[in-house]
Amino acid sequence: MSSMNDEEVLKRFMPLFAPKAVAVIGASTKGTALPNVFIRRIREFGYEGAIYPIHPTASEIDGLPAYKSLADTPQPIDYAYIAIAAAQIPPLLSSAHGRLRFAQVISSGFGEVEEGRELQDELAEAARAGGARLIGPNCLGIYTPRGKVTFAEIGSRDVGTVGIVSQSGGLGTDIIRRGFARGLKFSGLVTVGNCADVTPSDLLEFYFADAQTRVIGTYIETAKDGRRLFNILRNSAGAKPVVVLKGGRTKQGQAAAASHTGSLAGDDRVWIALARQTGCVLVDTLDQFIDTLLIFQALKAQPKHPTQGVVLFGNGGGTSVLATDFYARLGLDVTPFEQGTIDELAALKLPPGTSITNPVDCPVGTLQQEEGRVAEKILDIIYGSGKPDALVMHLNLSAFVGRTKPEVLDNLVQAALRVQEHYPGQAHFVLVLRSDGDPPLEQRKREFRENAVALGVPVYDEMANAGYALAALQTYERFMNRRRLGMK
Amino acid sequence: MEPNAIIDAARKQHRAALDESSGKALLASYGVAVPKTIVVRSSAEVDGALQGLTFPVVVKVVSSQILHKSDAGGVRVDVKTPDQVREAIRMMSVLPKIASARVEGWLIEEMAPAGQEIVIGGLRDPDFGPLVMVGLGGIFVEVLADVSFRICPITRLDAEEMIDDLKGAAILRGARGRKPVSRDAIIDVLLKIGGDDGLMMNHAEQIKEADINPLIVSDTGAIAVDARFILT
Repeated sequence: MSSMNDEEVLKRFMPLFAPKAVAVIGASTKGTALPNVFIRRIREFGYEGAIYPIHPTASEIDGLPAYKSLADTPQPIDYAYIAIAAAQIPPLLSSAHGRLRFAQVISSGFGEVEEGRELQDELAEAARAGGARLIGPNCLGIYTPRGKVTFAEIGSRDVGTVGIVSQSGGLGTDIIRRGFARGLKFSGLVTVGNCADVTPSDLLEFYFADAQTRVIGTYIETAKDGRRLFNILRNSAGAKPVVVLKGGRTKQGQAAAASHTGSLAGDDRVWIALARQTGCVLVDTLDQFIDTLLIFQALKAQPKHPTQGVVLFGNGGGTSVLATDFYARLGLDVTPFEQGTIDELAALKLPPGTSITNPVDCPVGTLQQEEGRVAEKILDIIYGSGKPDALVMHLNLSAFVGRTKPEVLDNLVQAALRVQEHYPGQAHFVLVLRSDGDPPLEQRKREFRENAVALGVPVYDEMANAGYALAALQTYERFMNRRRLGMK
Repeated sequence: MEPNAIIDAARKQHRAALDESSGKALLASYGVAVPKTIVVRSSAEVDGALQGLTFPVVVKVVSSQILHKSDAGGVRVDVKTPDQVREAIRMMSVLPKIASARVEGWLIEEMAPAGQEIVIGGLRDPDFGPLVMVGLGGIFVEVLADVSFRICPITRLDAEEMIDDLKGAAILRGARGRKPVSRDAIIDVLLKIGGDDGLMMNHAEQIKEADINPLIVSDTGAIAVDARFILT
């Protein structure tokens, strides 16, 4: 299976991402079980294909005709959502007679507990015998906007470019929900649980082959097929950025992972090696994972000049100083402009209290001049003369409250985007919107963030989050620079 | 000797690890430089055996029951004459840890020229298969764990980055007035151990762990002074 070409991989896995017929096993006539909720969700999500409830006795469930077995449905089934008692599942799958492509087993009680290991082997064997690929067990489901199937209550309907595979179902939900709030758009998300058959490697292979996917993210606790994972990532040679959130990297974490997914986690050093050799980016927290995926979704990596020099532009002197230190620790340089750039900025005769070296620290009074359009002049000099690899514009919304018209913030971002257009491919533009948790301000920030994300600008809550994301981008760009361009 | 023949011979003797001279023979079969070495069964054989060896030499105990030769007192360095070789064997033979072990012989080898001590290792990860490691010798690897790993097979660029990843990489470039050591020589050994047709890839099913410790690197080359291979 490891030598499939892209076309074969797409043919094999596309039915999972755009199923024409879905079977649901475990829905009750009372309409309260988890599979009933799944039926409701995919209908609400706009799923247009056939839905076949499978039930031993009922003739109708949630207004849909029910069938006695997987072999009795009018059409073959692309995807089955299965949430019944663990012991009942192997006989169900072995009798599918090749009419089922993907069986996702939500139920637990398999390899994640000692007494369920044998049953998990039996389950995998039954799926094989019935002709289906098995996803799970012990997972939550799939979220695929292009197929209009979802297990999650909340999630964007838009088809995006970020493909996810998660060994944890709960974390998969977090990724969908937080990603939604932050403007991430997904090409698909699969929770794979215990990985009795389909592994993260299989889905990475799909995402690499899938033209809709441009960025890949994965939460991994164990990789029993580590060698295959290495080969897939290595052969891809960084063609798409891959962000890896690895659980169980410490000894304590490994102990937690063992009880969670049912096997021991690999060695931390292997994962660092994997990242160094394949260009994937290792992150430690869910926030970093989302932040990093967002930067890869929004910005085009620049392997010819990996991100190094960063200009900070915004309001907040202490914030700029702290960020300068933090970015330096991440390997990003916030260094003062050369004299020529400083002279050009000085010629603008900005109000006192404005610092023009880099960081460029502009109090609100400066930023609101000409309703925010003075920023365009500053940014034009920064881009034209300062030539940074990345510009981080940071706005402390609290400081704007009651002092400026709402359009000033918009004008500032619009100004940055106009300048950006004059210097195509020169610098990454990242926006940090800082706030203080005040509900009306948070609401305004949310709206403002949505507008910015829609314009292709990645937006972060704090300088540190943007810093981590830029450092991840740098890691990927450097890898591509050394491997692809043969430069050092 | 052919590499598989060396490993098979050790297996036939039911050994869990290669003895030092077999380990070095395995390295030599992959083109890694090792000191010129002879093995004698007793001091009586010394005179006839020393021809072709250049003094000073190192004398080490050979025993599958002694894994850590230095700890047992089983290594004598800078031995300058045949008389001193016999004397070294006599003195080591009576040390408690050696006297109580089954001694198979004595290994006499030319002393490597001075240089920076490097450690190169191999490991078999249950999920990812063979890995290769590099670190600086002595306290750098033992106390500071300043090592870097890669998954085999590695490329030349991987080998270069492995060395650059070490916190002590500046020492190799000649920090604090020292002579820089040959980076190419380290890369060369890393590729012979961890590269595409390297030792760890070719014997992934046979070797559980490998240790070249130390590899002595000068400004012109590298020589493997001690080697341990634990079999699967």
